[in-house]
Amino acid sequence: MRRLLVASLLVLCAGLPGVSRAAGKPKILFMPGVADPFYFTMEKGIKAKAAEIGADLTVAEYPKSWGPDAQVPILQAAIAAGKYDLLLIAPTSTDALKAPLKGIYDKGVEIITVDTFIGDGDYSKPSDYNFPLSYIGSDNELGGKQMAQQLAKLVGGKGKVFVEATNPDASSVQGRVKGFKAGAAESGLQLVGVEWCQDVQQKAQEQTLAALQKDKDIVGIFGTNVFSAQGSYQAVVNAGLTGAVKIASWDATKELIGALKKGQVDLVLAQKPAEMGSLAVDWGVKYLKDKKGVKVPKKVIPGFEFFTKANVDDPKMQQFIYQ
Amino acid sequence: MSPWAAAPAGATTDPSGGFLSWRVGRAVARNWAACFLLAMLVVFSFTGRNFLSFVNFQNVVHLQTLPLLLAAAETFVIITGGIDLSIGFVAGLASVTAAKLMQLLLSAGLQGGGVIALGTAGALLLSLLPGLVNGLVITRFKVPPFIATLGMWGIANGVALKLCQGFPVADLPGALPRIGNGYLLYLLPGRFVSFLDRPVDFPEARIREVWRIIPFSLPFVLLVLGSLAFLLRRGRFGRHTYAIGGSMDAAIRAGIDVDGHLVRIYVLASALAGLAGVFNVFQTGIGNYTTFSSMYELFAVAAVVIGGASLSGGKGRILGSAVGVLVLAFLENGLAISGVQPFYRYILVGVLLVVAVVIDKLFPDLF
Repeated sequence: MRRLLVASLLVLCAGLPGVSRAAGKPKILFMPGVADPFYFTMEKGIKAKAAEIGADLTVAEYPKSWGPDAQVPILQAAIAAGKYDLLLIAPTSTDALKAPLKGIYDKGVEIITVDTFIGDGDYSKPSDYNFPLSYIGSDNELGGKQMAQQLAKLVGGKGKVFVEATNPDASSVQGRVKGFKAGAAESGLQLVGVEWCQDVQQKAQEQTLAALQKDKDIVGIFGTNVFSAQGSYQAVVNAGLTGAVKIASWDATKELIGALKKGQVDLVLAQKPAEMGSLAVDWGVKYLKDKKGVKVPKKVIPGFEFFTKANVDDPKMQQFIYQ
Repeated sequence: MSPWAAAPAGATTDPSGGFLSWRVGRAVARNWAACFLLAMLVVFSFTGRNFLSFVNFQNVVHLQTLPLLLAAAETFVIITGGIDLSIGFVAGLASVTAAKLMQLLLSAGLQGGGVIALGTAGALLLSLLPGLVNGLVITRFKVPPFIATLGMWGIANGVALKLCQGFPVADLPGALPRIGNGYLLYLLPGRFVSFLDRPVDFPEARIREVWRIIPFSLPFVLLVLGSLAFLLRRGRFGRHTYAIGGSMDAAIRAGIDVDGHLVRIYVLASALAGLAGVFNVFQTGIGNYTTFSSMYELFAVAAVVIGGASLSGGKGRILGSAVGVLVLAFLENGLAISGVQPFYRYILVGVLLVVAVVIDKLFPDLF
């Protein structure tokens, strides 16, 4: 009797996790970076794909502010509350998320970083952060560079430009600013300043107005995310300079597209958050089903689309608006 | 409660008998924030190209409308010895509600002015509610204001995010930002003078040369702040506010309806926050939820303290708080125009705040 009990316990212990994993749907946890339209749109992409291929999706609480101090406790609590096979996460720090993610990975959860990455985002070389399956997100530096080139075309290839950025500690934002700097220099634009609004539109407005005051002949402004782009175009409206100062904005929210139609914004770069999310689910689940056979690319870059006044009503472009 | 703050502000006597130098010194210390503001304006005029300009000052004040209203709200609460942490998110909630209401009315087929008026009125009405809850929780259940309003801080934000799903609320009447960013006078020397709106034959090519004088926001904010200052300085409402902050017990013994008054104070604060949020819709043309990194409420508290109020209650002035808002705004604006790196500015704003409280502690009886 006792032997039977021990034996059945052993079977239970050894068998249960394996059985539930093999037979059940793959369990996915999505850990967004911060509560904003970009990640809400990504969640839609993830949800749709998960429903399509029959994966069991949990969305962790949206952190209220950007940063590991807000994100890590939510992540730990979510991981402790359920058993997951795959974690899709937008790490809010290139360094501070390395250790928590390694801990989760060591418990047997596969990880894909979406939109942002840990380390330098290159998981193909030996390092202490190469354990994620893949980084699926934008090449922000390339986007920043293309933005500068497009803006240069709009302003005639010369003049002063200004960058209204958001958080100085996010890999994505750093990349955009870096790329824009390089692109501006190559295209003959003179960069007169970079400001950080920390996702506060009111701050972005104040900072842009100060910049417009300091350099009265600014011809173009690059807003690096929703809040900075909205704040900077509104500052131009406040200053009565609509049309005289061209606004290039990152992220295609409905509001920014509306502003583009009204001529308040001149250039909108659309990332593909829904596609990022969808690709992450797709690759992750493929890998879980056949760990030996499937080789996941270490970097997947969905690319960008540029909205201008000329193509904003094009039916093919509408799918790239975040909603 | 601080013992020296038991009397209403302005009732202190001059202990030294009125030497001229002492009087000047006292006047400076009493109004150190205003003096600091003036000194700052002078310094930045030298260090910052284009800082000293009518257009810049006008822009700064125009953009400070929301912080000015929030600081006024916080002034009333802080004078009673309380604090209201929810005003930033109540402003965001009002902004989103006004925008959502306008969207609904538009989709119901209404047009123009009615949509704006109803949306505005609805959001203002709703913004009384958080204050009422705050006030009742604080007075009926004796929950400290810090905790009660921290609760509302989360609730207001959650409701706002739920309403707008984390997206700014767009597609509102185009007249909104034209009103919110309109000016009384448009002037292009030698070409045109136009009241209330840009002339029809506006020369787009010379857009940078047009003078725009007195934004609508200025008379609006002066009217609101003026009425509030009047409410606080004259009559019973103000006297009771100072009395409660000076000493709650004394106020109760004097027969003041302390609980009722506190509820009215929190409702007033929340209504002003609502007004700030609705103004934000006019200024930006969209409904904006307040992001967590905004910290509007904390900067409002900072402005009120810089303006000479004490967190232990009993003193504070609307004008002082307005000066506090402008000190923070011009510090940021002046440093930016002078080309100081962003991160140094955070440090300087922090230092300034500590200095304000140190002055308050060193010269308590000067105010």
